[in-house]
Amino acid sequence: MRAVIYLSIFLWGSCVYSQNKETLYDFTDLPQSLMSNPGADIKFKRHLGVPFLSQFHTNVGLRGATLFDVFADDGRSINEKIETTLNKLTSNDYLTLTQQLEVVNFGWKSKKHRDVYFSGGVYQELDLIGYFPKDFAVLAYQGNRDFINQPFRFSNISASGELLMVYHFGYNKKVNKKLTFGARAKLYSSLFHARTARNSGTFTTVETPQGNNIYQHIVSNANVTLRTAGYASLRDIADNTDAQQGKEIVNKLIGRALLGGNLGVGVDIGVTHKINEQLNLTGSVNDLGVIFYTNDVETYRARGNYVFEGFETPIQFSGAESQDFLDELEEAIPLDTLSTSYITMRPLKLNGSLRYSFNQYDDGTCYNCIEGEDPPYLDALGVQVFMQFRPKRPQYAASLFYYKRLSKFLRTKVTYTVDDYSYYNVGFLLSTHIDKINFYISANNLFDYTNLAKANGATVQLGFNIIM
Amino acid sequence: MMKTKKFYVMLYIFCVALISGSCVKDVDFDQVEDVVLTPVFEVDFIFSRFDTSQFIDPDLDPSIIIPEVVVNDTLNYDLLGTDFVVDNLDRVELTFEFRNTIQRSFDFDFGFLNSGGQRIGPSFSITAESGNGPGTEPVVTTEIIVLDNATINVLGDANRLVSSIRVQNVNSGLLGVLELRSKGTYFINYEL
Repeated sequence: MRAVIYLSIFLWGSCVYSQNKETLYDFTDLPQSLMSNPGADIKFKRHLGVPFLSQFHTNVGLRGATLFDVFADDGRSINEKIETTLNKLTSNDYLTLTQQLEVVNFGWKSKKHRDVYFSGGVYQELDLIGYFPKDFAVLAYQGNRDFINQPFRFSNISASGELLMVYHFGYNKKVNKKLTFGARAKLYSSLFHARTARNSGTFTTVETPQGNNIYQHIVSNANVTLRTAGYASLRDIADNTDAQQGKEIVNKLIGRALLGGNLGVGVDIGVTHKINEQLNLTGSVNDLGVIFYTNDVETYRARGNYVFEGFETPIQFSGAESQDFLDELEEAIPLDTLSTSYITMRPLKLNGSLRYSFNQYDDGTCYNCIEGEDPPYLDALGVQVFMQFRPKRPQYAASLFYYKRLSKFLRTKVTYTVDDYSYYNVGFLLSTHIDKINFYISANNLFDYTNLAKANGATVQLGFNIIM
Repeated sequence: MMKTKKFYVMLYIFCVALISGSCVKDVDFDQVEDVVLTPVFEVDFIFSRFDTSQFIDPDLDPSIIIPEVVVNDTLNYDLLGTDFVVDNLDRVELTFEFRNTIQRSFDFDFGFLNSGGQRIGPSFSITAESGNGPGTEPVVTTEIIVLDNATINVLGDANRLVSSIRVQNVNSGLLGVLELRSKGTYFINYEL
């Protein structure tokens, strides 16, 4: 319990949050725009991300509550605040953490086909989501006394987590003046995966005025499954008292990162359609793929029914056998450990945008434009939508954005996003271009930035590139 | 042009500073030390149902009076036997409800044994009041026994429960049913 609370604090303390990259999406001055839309209408000829520094992305989100709700320094007892927060949260609220680190990222315009741009690279991703197990949190925090005849649902238990490396290679082609199409092939190497979802069944304490005893404690149709891949061997190493265990774990993880993990394949697809000179429509699908978990798989499954109504005494009158509560429970709801392979879909993400550009730079000096290109539009307005599939239900976000090219040196984007976390999420991105050196930084939830404790989430992205 | 550039540089520095200067304030994470979980669990305890025919042969001559019938039992009971429970259980209230139609009072005694079969902790005794005979409304006797923290610590090694029911001066003409229903209310106090 203590560990869970400290972990939560740590995650929040990292000040960063979500898979929705509303500021980076369709920000075609940056090569990272190709990662969310491989069909982005980019203008550069080559790029090279600074290894390990070309993109750092973290997103922490907590739907339904903030750190301030529980840890506010307001003189009230923390237990009172926990209870208030517990009552406010529902089983649809969740905690997410997404973190990505680009190891390498590069790209170049094809010499043979000037309308084709290739890009590739490797990045590491950590993606966690845990839905708030409201019923069992209430059971642990308040007990069952005030919840007689009310079922505690195992369907509340839903979470998944994965650490993986992604190797990718993308193809971007300007099909004609109006259409740019792109696709990116991905090879996933999973280091660790755990998932529990689609659980069912209930635990209920039922009052039985006509029964043998005051209550019946009923576990009904329980079916709870936790799938893991990459966990069992790490546990076995950790169980050894060998001093080398830390090194062994690191070596094993490095091996998995270098395509030695559970492998999967996927694809990103994207398009940009120029409706006219100033109006662009874009759309993309990310992580349409699967991972095949065949190595180091352990699935834990508990299924069954059980009714407990106390201990009968003396048993010689009923002829029943002597009871052992724990033995009976284990027999009725056995915990099986399976090593059957399984497949899961990657969390699919969809993006779309409509962008209206205006205020074309045209003073004849071409201070702001790229040689051989039309002078750029200095301003753009538009809308973006985002959707990501999650174990229980998809997450949605919609943004309004304003892009401003302040100078050749400095380009910005401001977004206003409505999502699961809040209705007033303002984000911005600054991208500096000094000769070929690019540095960008982006954050959202600006209104809450002065005190992240009151934010439902936060995202920061930053990175260095060489863009030609 | 220089002024514009200066403005952009200043804007840039301001924005970077804003992100770097972000903070978490007006919160006190040390409060986590004060978190106390105080759930209350209600769990069935023991139950029984005595029909007089189960302990007196109905064919016995009603004039024969048996001075005392004692029924003893021992059952596995491990709900107090984990360190977590012993360390974090504030108290337990055991609620007993007897419903009696037999025209005799019954003495119900119980206590706990450790794994070596030794009696540990106190013994408890409850008298179920006499009923009014078969076909009448049962006479209800309710009693709550509180096991305080000190008693729970003594009972930490308990893994069996011994009980006995005693009734005096019975004959085969005595009819009716004695029912016992009970529950334990466990008050947890768990400090993180």
